[in-house]
Amino acid sequence: MSIKNRQARSGWGFLAPFLVLFVAFFILPILYAIYQSLFTVKRTGELGLGGQELSFSWFDNYTTALSDTAFVDSLWTVLIFALIQVPVMVLLALTLALLLESASARGVGFFRTAYFLPHGVPGVIASILWGFLYVPGISPLYNLFESVGLSVDFISPDTILLSIVNIVTWEFAGYNVLVLIAQLKAVNPNLFEAARVDGASPWRIIWHIKLPLARPAIVMATVFTIVGSLQLFAEPLVLRPVAASITYTYTPNLAAYNEAFFENNYQLAAAQAVVLAAVAMVLSFGFLRIFGRGDKQ
Amino acid sequence: MPSLSRRTALRLAAAALLPTSLAACGGGGSGRRQPGETIELTFWNWVPGVDKAVNLWNKQNPEVQIRLSNIPSGPSGGYAKMFAALKAGDPPDLAQVEYYQIPAFLMEQGLEDLTQHGFADHKDKFVDWQWDQGAFGDGVYAVPQASGPMAMYYRADLLEQWNLEPPATWAEFEETAAKIREHDAYICSFPPNDAAMFTSLCWQAGARWFGTSGGEWTVDMDNEPTRKVAEYWQRLIKKDLVLAQPMMANAWYKAVQDGKEVLWVGPQWGDALIKGNAPKTSGKWKVTGMPQWKEGEFASANWGGSSTALFKGGDFPAEALEFAIWLNTDPTAVDLLIEGGYGWPAAAGVFKGSKLDRDDEFFGGRYNDVFAEADKAVDTKWRWTPITLEINENLNAGFQAAFGSGGSFTDVVATAEKQAIAGMKAKGLPVASP
Repeated sequence: MSIKNRQARSGWGFLAPFLVLFVAFFILPILYAIYQSLFTVKRTGELGLGGQELSFSWFDNYTTALSDTAFVDSLWTVLIFALIQVPVMVLLALTLALLLESASARGVGFFRTAYFLPHGVPGVIASILWGFLYVPGISPLYNLFESVGLSVDFISPDTILLSIVNIVTWEFAGYNVLVLIAQLKAVNPNLFEAARVDGASPWRIIWHIKLPLARPAIVMATVFTIVGSLQLFAEPLVLRPVAASITYTYTPNLAAYNEAFFENNYQLAAAQAVVLAAVAMVLSFGFLRIFGRGDKQ
Repeated sequence: MPSLSRRTALRLAAAALLPTSLAACGGGGSGRRQPGETIELTFWNWVPGVDKAVNLWNKQNPEVQIRLSNIPSGPSGGYAKMFAALKAGDPPDLAQVEYYQIPAFLMEQGLEDLTQHGFADHKDKFVDWQWDQGAFGDGVYAVPQASGPMAMYYRADLLEQWNLEPPATWAEFEETAAKIREHDAYICSFPPNDAAMFTSLCWQAGARWFGTSGGEWTVDMDNEPTRKVAEYWQRLIKKDLVLAQPMMANAWYKAVQDGKEVLWVGPQWGDALIKGNAPKTSGKWKVTGMPQWKEGEFASANWGGSSTALFKGGDFPAEALEFAIWLNTDPTAVDLLIEGGYGWPAAAGVFKGSKLDRDDEFFGGRYNDVFAEADKAVDTKWRWTPITLEINENLNAGFQAAFGSGGSFTDVVATAEKQAIAGMKAKGLPVASP
C-alpha cells in the first residue's frame, strides 16, 4: 500500500511540471475565452466615449458570429482548404515515405533531410519567400511559365487558395514523412522478408503490409493536417499585403484576430475562436471515430 | 434571483482573473517628478528619423529619458500591440497614433486628456484642423505631428517623350491614361486592398463621410461625390487604363522603378517612398497639384496624418506632454523628422526655412511649394470615427469582391455605409439615422 502510494506520488510529481503549464497556458485561457464570449460591451456618454461596461449576454456573440456571412464564409474557406490540403498532404507524405523506405532507395539520408528542411523555416518566413515567387512583376516563375506558353496568376481570387495549399504542403510534408518513416521502421522486417519469400509483389507488400501497419501514423498525420488547416492564419496574414484577394476575414483565425486587435471586440473574437475550436473538435474526433478504430490491433 | 447571483459570481471570477488590468483602468497617472529625479518614459513609434530626434532630446534632458521602442506601423500590427497593452494595463507612456485611429483609442478609454496638463495654451503652435483631429468634446487627446496633403507626382521625362501634359482635371487624367497605354505603360494603380487612397480621393471630391452632431455620430458615405469617384475608378479599371494591384508593395515599386507606372496622385510623405524605392529615377520626377473635378479649382485632400498621443495611466504625463510638444514643434526636431520623411508638419509656420523649403534634384527642384499650397486646399472639416479600420476593411472586402465578380463600386460604397452604421451600433456607439 505505501509503495503504491509513493509510486502514485512520484508519478504526480513527474507530471506536475507539465500539468502546471498545461493548466496555466492551455486550460485556463480556453475557460477564459469561453467565459469572455458570454459578455458584450455597453458604452455610455456623449458619442459613446464616456466609458464602457461589460454585461452578461448569454449567447449573443455566438448569434452575431454565426449570422455574419463573412465569418461563415471564412469557415467554408478553411473547410474547402482542408478538403484539398488533407489528401494532397497525406498522399504526398505517404508516397515520399514509401519511396524512402523501399528496398532499392538510394541517397535516403540526403532526401530525408531535404524533405524535412522546409519544416525548419517558420511559416511566416516561408510565406514571405513564396510571396516573392507569387507576385507578378517580381517572380521569375511568371517568365518561366510564359516561356512555355502558360499564363498563370498565383494570387487571383481563384488560385490564391491553391497557392496557400502549396506553401503549407512545402512546410509540413517533410515533417509528416518523418512521422510515417518512423512508423514504417518499427515494422518487423521479417514480415517483408516472409511476404517476398511467398512471392508478394512490392505493390502487394505496400498495400497489405506497410499501409495497414502504418495506419496509426497516417491517422495522426491526417488529424494534424485537419486541425492545422482549420487554424490557417500566418500564411494568409503575410500574403495579404501582396494578394488583394485575401480579405481580413479570409480564415476564421484571421477574422478573430482582426475582431480582437483591430476592432477591439474581444468578446466576439472569443466567440469566433470557440466556434472554430468546436468545428475542429467535431472534425478531428469524427475522423478518429471513423478511421481510428483499427489502432489497437 | 438566480441569474443575478450568477452574474455577480461571474464578475467576481473576472475580477480574480484580471486584477491588474482592472486596477490600472482607474488610475489617471498623477505622478510628479521630484526635482533631480531621473525618469524614463517609453515611446512606441515606427516613424523613420524619430530615433534621431529622441537622441537629441535625451542629450538635452538627462533627467527625462525617452526609451524608444520600434514597433510595426499601426495598421500592420502596431495598433494591435497598443490595444493589447491597454487591455493588459501596461501601455507605453507615449505612442505614434494616426489621426484616423484617435477615436478608436478614445473609445477604449486609452488616451490622456491633455487639457488637464495645460495643453490648451499651446493651441496656436499647431495648424487648426490638425489640432481638431485630436479634439473631442472638451478634451484634446493628441499632440498633432504631421499630415499628408496630396498632389501628383509624375515622370516628367516620359510624359515629355510621349508628348503628353500632366493632366489638370480628372477628365484629362482619363484621356492621358489611354494615351499612356499606347506606350505599354500605365498611368497609375488603383489598389483593391487599401481603402485609404479611395477615401482621400472622395475627400478631395467634397465628400464628408463622418461627423458628430448632438452627441451622436453621423455617417454619410453613399453620397454624390463618393459615387462619382467610385464610378470613375471602376471605369478606368474596366478599360484597363490603371493597374489593379496593391500599392506600396513590391510589385508596385517594381513598376515605378521600371517606368511601367508613370504617375502617382499621392501624399507628401510619398516622396520618401519613391526616392527610397526607385533611386535610379532621380531627376525624372516633377510634382504638380491634384487633378480637379472642376476646371480652374484647386481642391486637395489629405492621406495619412499622425499624432503623438499619451496613454492613460502613465506616471509622468506632464513630462511626456512636454516631450511630445518639443518633438513636434522644435525646429531642429522637426527637421530630423522631415529627413526621415514623416510627412507635412502639423506645427504652424515651420515650413519656411525647414528642410522642406529647399531644392531637391530628385523631383526637379523646389517641389514642396506644391504641397504647401495643397495643405491650404484641404477640406478641414473631415472627421474620423472610432471604427475607421473596420470601415476600411469593409471597403477593401467590398472592392476585392467587386474586382472578382465585376460588381459595381457604387454598391460597395452603399454597402459600406450600412456596415459602418451597423458596426458602430454593434460597438454601442450612438449613431444618427441617415
